[in-house]
Formats: sequence, structure tokens, C-alpha cells
Amino acid sequence: MHKDGLPAQGVPLARADPASALHPQVAIEHLGELMHRRTPLRLLVRRVAAIRASVHTKLLAAFLIVTGVFIAMALVSLQTIVSASEQSRLLDEAHEMVSLAHESEYALARQMHFTDLALLSQSEEAIAKILRENNRFNDRLGELEATGTSDHALLEQIRTSQDEAMAVVADIANAIRDGKLGAVTSALMRRQERLDSEITTRVGLLVAAQENRMSRMRDSVAAANRRALILTSAFAVTAVVFALLCGFVISWSIILPVHEARHFLDKVAAGEFGARISVPNRDEFGTLAERMNHMSSELLRFDAEQRRAAAELGRLNQELEQTSKAKSEFLANMSHELRTPMNAILGFTEMLIDGLYGDVPKALQEPLADIQVNGRHLLRLINDVLDLSKIEAGHMQLSLTEYSARDIVDMVNASLRSLAAEKGLHLETRVPDDLPIAYGDSGRLTQCLMNLAGNAIKFTREGRVVIAVELAGNDLLFRVSDTGIGIPREELQNVFAEFRQVDTAVTREFGGTGLGLSITKRFVEMHGGRIWAESDVGKGCTFFFTVPLRVKDGEP
Amino acid sequence: MSAGTILYVEDNEYNRKIVRQLLTGTSYRLLEAVDGEGGVLMAQQQLPQLVLMDVQLPKMSGLDATRALKADPRTSHIPVIVITSFALSGDREKAAAAGADSYLAKPYSPRELLALVRRFLPEPR
Repeated sequence: MHKDGLPAQGVPLARADPASALHPQVAIEHLGELMHRRTPLRLLVRRVAAIRASVHTKLLAAFLIVTGVFIAMALVSLQTIVSASEQSRLLDEAHEMVSLAHESEYALARQMHFTDLALLSQSEEAIAKILRENNRFNDRLGELEATGTSDHALLEQIRTSQDEAMAVVADIANAIRDGKLGAVTSALMRRQERLDSEITTRVGLLVAAQENRMSRMRDSVAAANRRALILTSAFAVTAVVFALLCGFVISWSIILPVHEARHFLDKVAAGEFGARISVPNRDEFGTLAERMNHMSSELLRFDAEQRRAAAELGRLNQELEQTSKAKSEFLANMSHELRTPMNAILGFTEMLIDGLYGDVPKALQEPLADIQVNGRHLLRLINDVLDLSKIEAGHMQLSLTEYSARDIVDMVNASLRSLAAEKGLHLETRVPDDLPIAYGDSGRLTQCLMNLAGNAIKFTREGRVVIAVELAGNDLLFRVSDTGIGIPREELQNVFAEFRQVDTAVTREFGGTGLGLSITKRFVEMHGGRIWAESDVGKGCTFFFTVPLRVKDGEP
Repeated sequence: MSAGTILYVEDNEYNRKIVRQLLTGTSYRLLEAVDGEGGVLMAQQQLPQLVLMDVQLPKMSGLDATRALKADPRTSHIPVIVITSFALSGDREKAAAAGADSYLAKPYSPRELLALVRRFLPEPR
């Protein structure tokens, strides 16, 4: 059934089942449960749950935050890449500076070489070469200066020395042209040497400075790269941790109320009405929890009301039982109280009539007989009323024994024979020879048949009364028919109601308590049988009743 | 000569009067008791030949008194006719269960009662 299936679908988180722990999914769930229970994350979960926003909003916010963190991480990475390429460009530039410095150094060296050559060979051609190398040197120097990376003062000194060196070269050229080189050679050579060493030293400084700069820059780039790597990694780790955290917190802020709801529903299902569910959530789950609490308190109220009602019902039932018992006792007492004086009245009357007090004067014989008849009628009335009351109160029980239907018919026949004879009626009985032994309350059935046959005799002025019984399937069918006044069709249904006779004039003429048929009907029904009548007005009527051949014990 | 002693246990004065009158012309001797305890006591002392026992009696019910008489070896042989006012099914069985030898439903005809008495305690001719 659906209801039975529910607990089986419960979240297996809370169950520390070693077999299920082997399952990776369950293991992860265990980890989540542990993290939630053992770490301060619990507080964070509760705080997030307590945020007054819908679950949808919270999920969206968490998603946006995580997305934002990843975008920031991407921007940082981009920035790192850009800065790395810039550094690399600067490094290239520095490298170029270093090679410029080297080239200028090389040009200087060649210039000096050609100067020495010019001095030795005294040829104009060498001078031209010097100028070419000088131009190249100046170009490189210019380029170096243009980058602004070199010491300006040093460049100025180099340029000054170079200008001086060029002046020496000009002197050398003039001397060659004038053919007076020999005289000045040594002086020029000394100047030239001094300048050479000066310039070489300074260019060397320049080269060293550029190389130094490049080296520094390389270090700085390496450091920057290291920083970028660390920064990016940190950012990535942070982003991942943050995303996990967001996921964990958001999902537990949802799982938590679901767990609570399950415990709550378990309690309610176990009949603990009025159980409370407490969740920190102020979202849909919070609303749901409020409704559950409301439902639970309603259930408690309803249950209490039901219990009160049941207790009240029990109390009323007990009262009713006591009343019923009191009524039954009252009936028993009343029976005794009424019969005792009746016994005396009827007893004295009979003894008077029987002459136990001496001969009865003729004039008193009729009134004494009248007292006796009316006394008996009153007694019948009392008996019928008490019987009916007992039946109504449910205190009447059948006394089931084996009996012979023939005996019942014979007993009724014997009791009523003289009455029928007095009225000049034929009383006939029809009983098949092969009737099986029956099981039921023979006393009550005799009473029933006696009532019907007594009525038939009472309401018949001439003709006959037939008492018959036969087997009809599993039932005994009793039948009493007469040739009396009959019953109008519309009254046939009513004859079994209490105090009902066809009309009051009939009652006066024929007597009777008006309870006999009603009691007969009850007794027949207590046996599980049925009673009905058929009639033609003026031609007589027939009363039928059936009872099971063998009444089942314990069934009315 | 007495045909025998009959004890009638009955609380109603008029019913006792009926039996008293009924037995006047007979050779029976009548003892009367008005409650169950008195009836048992009188039966044990006088040892009558027959007991007529009403069912509904003060102090001790007729059925309990019948049981007491039947349990006492001195009186257990005395026939007891129980007279009940409950003409309901089950009363006959209750009377038989209490040890009654016969049963008569109230209101009884004095004629019937006398006939029953004579069956248990025949009068000498």
C-alpha cells in the first residue's frame, strides 16, 4: 500500500548502515551529514535558512555569486596574461638595449681600430671608415638615449669624449692631408689613447648598466609571474571552495527542513498529535513548517475533541446501561408486584366460586364469574405489556430447546377446544406425520399459535378454525385460518402494530388486549421468521408465520 | 390424623390467607414463614413433609432458600415447590437448578396448587 511504502522512501542519511556506507553516493551523503553536524557550518546553514527570501531567490543569488566569483577569477587571469606579455615586451626591449649597447661598444672598438690604422697607414680611406664607425656609434648611442633607459650624464660624458675623439680624428685627418702626421703622431696617439680608454670605460659602464637593468627586469618578471601564478591559484581555489560552500549551505538549508519534516511526520503518524516542527527557515519551508504546526495543533484539538466525545459517549452509554438495567429491574419487580395481588384476587374469586367459603348465593354467582373473567383479562393485559416491554428493552431471550411442532399444535388445540365448542365452532388441526424434530423456543411459539388461534375463535361467529403446520423448505410454516369477519385489505399491514384492532366496536364485542399480534410478530422475528395475513372481508382470514426448522443459537 | 405438614414461605399476607383457606378443609397442617431465612430456619426445626417456596422473598430469595434446604442433609429430602411470579423463559430452569422438585407460575389457580400438593403428599382416604 502507498502508506506502507512511504517510510521505505525515507532519506537513508540518518542510518549508519555499514553495508550501505560502501555505496559511494551514500558515503558522500554521510560526509555531508557529518560536515553539517560537526562543523560551525551548521550555524551558517541556519543563518542562510533564516534569510527572509524564497528558495528560488536564494538559489539564484548563490548561482549569481558563484558566477561572479568565476568571472572575477577570469578577469584576474586575463589581467595576469596582459601584464605578463607587457613584462615580456619590456624584457625584449631591455634585451635590445643591451644589444644596442654592445653594438655601440663594437662600433667604438672598430672606430678605435680604424683610428690606429689611420695613424699607421696614414690613408684617407681609414679616416672615412672611422667616420662611418663613428656615425654608427652615434646612431646606437642616439637610440639608447631615445629609450631613456640610460644614465643621461654618462651619455653626455661619452658624447663629450667622443666629440673630443672626433676632434683628434679631424686633427689626424688634417695631419694626413698636410703630410705632417709624423710630427704630431705621438701627441695625437697619446690623446687618442687617453680618449679611447675614457670612452671604453664609459661605454663599458653603459653596457654594464643595461645588462644590469635587463637582469633586474628578468628577476622582476619572474617575481611577477610567480605572484600571478599564486594569485590565480588562490583565486581559483577560493572560487571553488566558495562555490562548494554556497552549494553546501544552500542545499542543507533545504535538506534541514526536509529532515525535520520527516521526523515531524513520523511523530504525527505515530499518533503524537500536537508535535511541533522547528526550522530556522523563513522561506517556503518556513511557511510549510508553520502550516504543519497548525495542522498538528488542529489534529491535537480534533483528537482531544474526539476523546472528549468518546468519553462522553462512554459515560452516556454507561448511564444508558444503568438506566436499562434499572428498567429491567423495574420490570421484574413490577411483574412481581402486579402478579402478587392478581394472584390474591383470582385466588379468592376461584375459591369463592368453588365454595370453599360455603355455598354461593345464586344472585352472587354471575358477578363472581364477571370478576373472574375481568381479572383474567387484566392479568393477560399485564402479561402482554410486560412481555412487550421486555422485548423492547432487549431483555427477552429465547429459550431454545428441541421440540415437536405437533406437540405445539396439540397443546393449542387442547387449550382452545372447550372455548371453540362453547361457540359452536369446528376446531381442526392439520399436521403431517413426517415432520422432523424442530429447534426453537417452544413456549414462545405455543404462545404465538395460541394468540392466533385464540383471535380466530374470538372473531368467528360460525364455521371453522383450522390450525395447520407444514414443512416449507428449511422453515416450518404455521397457518391459522377462520371463517370470521375478516380484515379489510388496507388494515392487513396494521394488525401487527401495538394496540391496533380493526375498530373499537370490535374490541368491545370480542375483547382482547390488542397486544397479542404485536407480541406474536416479535417472537416470530426473534426466531428469524416472518408473519403475514391474508383476508377477504366477510369470508374470514388466514394468518401465516414461518420459523426456521432449526433456529441458530446466538441469533435472535 | 394429619396427612402431613406443609411449610408455605410467602411474604404476602393475602396469598398466605388463600393457602390457609385452601387447606382448611383438608387434613394438612400448615406452617407459615414470611421470609427466606425464617423459612429455612423453620424447615430445619419442624422438618415439614413439603415446602411451598415463593421466589421473591425478603432477606433471602426463594431460590437461595431452596438451595440452602437442599444442601442441608436434615432437609434435603423434603420436596420443594417453587412459586415464581416471573412467567418468563428461564425461570423454570433456574428453579430446577436451585434443586426445586416442581414449579408453579404465579398467578396460580388454588385448584391447581391443591392438585400439585396432593401429588407430592397424598391425603389418606
